[in-house]
Amino acid sequence: MITGSVKRRNSFYWLFSILFFINCSSDPAIHSPEAYTVEIKQMKFQPSELVLQKGDTVIWINHDFIVHDVTEDPGKTWTSSAIQNGESWRMVVTESSNYFCNIHQVMKGKLLVK
Amino acid sequence: MNLVTRHSSIMMCLIACSIMLSVNAFAQNNPTLTDAEVASIAVVANQIDINYSQIAKKKSKNAEILKFAETMANDHNAVLGQAVALAKKLGVIPKDNAVSQKLNADAEKNNKMLNSKSTEAFDKAYIDNEVEYHKAVIAAIETLLIPETENQELKELLQNVLPAFKTHLEHATMVQHKFSTK
Repeated sequence: MITGSVKRRNSFYWLFSILFFINCSSDPAIHSPEAYTVEIKQMKFQPSELVLQKGDTVIWINHDFIVHDVTEDPGKTWTSSAIQNGESWRMVVTESSNYFCNIHQVMKGKLLVK
Repeated sequence: MNLVTRHSSIMMCLIACSIMLSVNAFAQNNPTLTDAEVASIAVVANQIDINYSQIAKKKSKNAEILKFAETMANDHNAVLGQAVALAKKLGVIPKDNAVSQKLNADAEKNNKMLNSKSTEAFDKAYIDNEVEYHKAVIAAIETLLIPETENQELKELLQNVLPAFKTHLEHATMVQHKFSTK
């Protein structure tokens, strides 16, 4: 009886451990950061809208021969400063925000954190 | 809108119409432009807007106008640099022609008009001129310069600068709207 009880208890621990492991590994709160690219070309942010998760990185690459920047809109709480042709700028995203090119203010983009 | 402002706006429209009509007339009457002539028109058109921006830097006290003028100077200088580099690469020497002469003659009148404005009246006159000038240049690139260009690289350069000019027009229109509601 005692041996059977111990076996049942061990089995329970094993089952619990496996379920706990499965639960942890599939936890949506644990997210491996990803990197996204926004190309600046033909005077547009492409894509103009990105859906991503907190902690992801966005890399803006300027393909235009004209200088651009990436600036939070409307508060200008963050900015890349000038991005020359062929250069890039990256930022880890912590929250949703709208942004624009502060040099060409009709160029606009959006980051949506899920 | 007061009488002076209305008069200024009408003058801007007339000047822009004059540029567009002269370009269109040229397109209809003289259907051939050499690549050297197209290159000259591209250089002149950019230089004219750089000159307007220099007048703005001298006369305006408005931060938004000064920033817009700075952007125009930088962007048109960048386009100019591309045009000159390509002409050099292709061995094309920009050649003066009826369209570039007409653009320069009209620009001379506009320079005088802008220089004659008071500080108060200048900002609106400048941004009105920028709107009309970009409309005229976009029309000229689309209807005359691109169709007339033989060399593929020169044609691609003209196609590549169009989005910048259209963005300038949109930006200028946005600034113009702020001045019209002041």
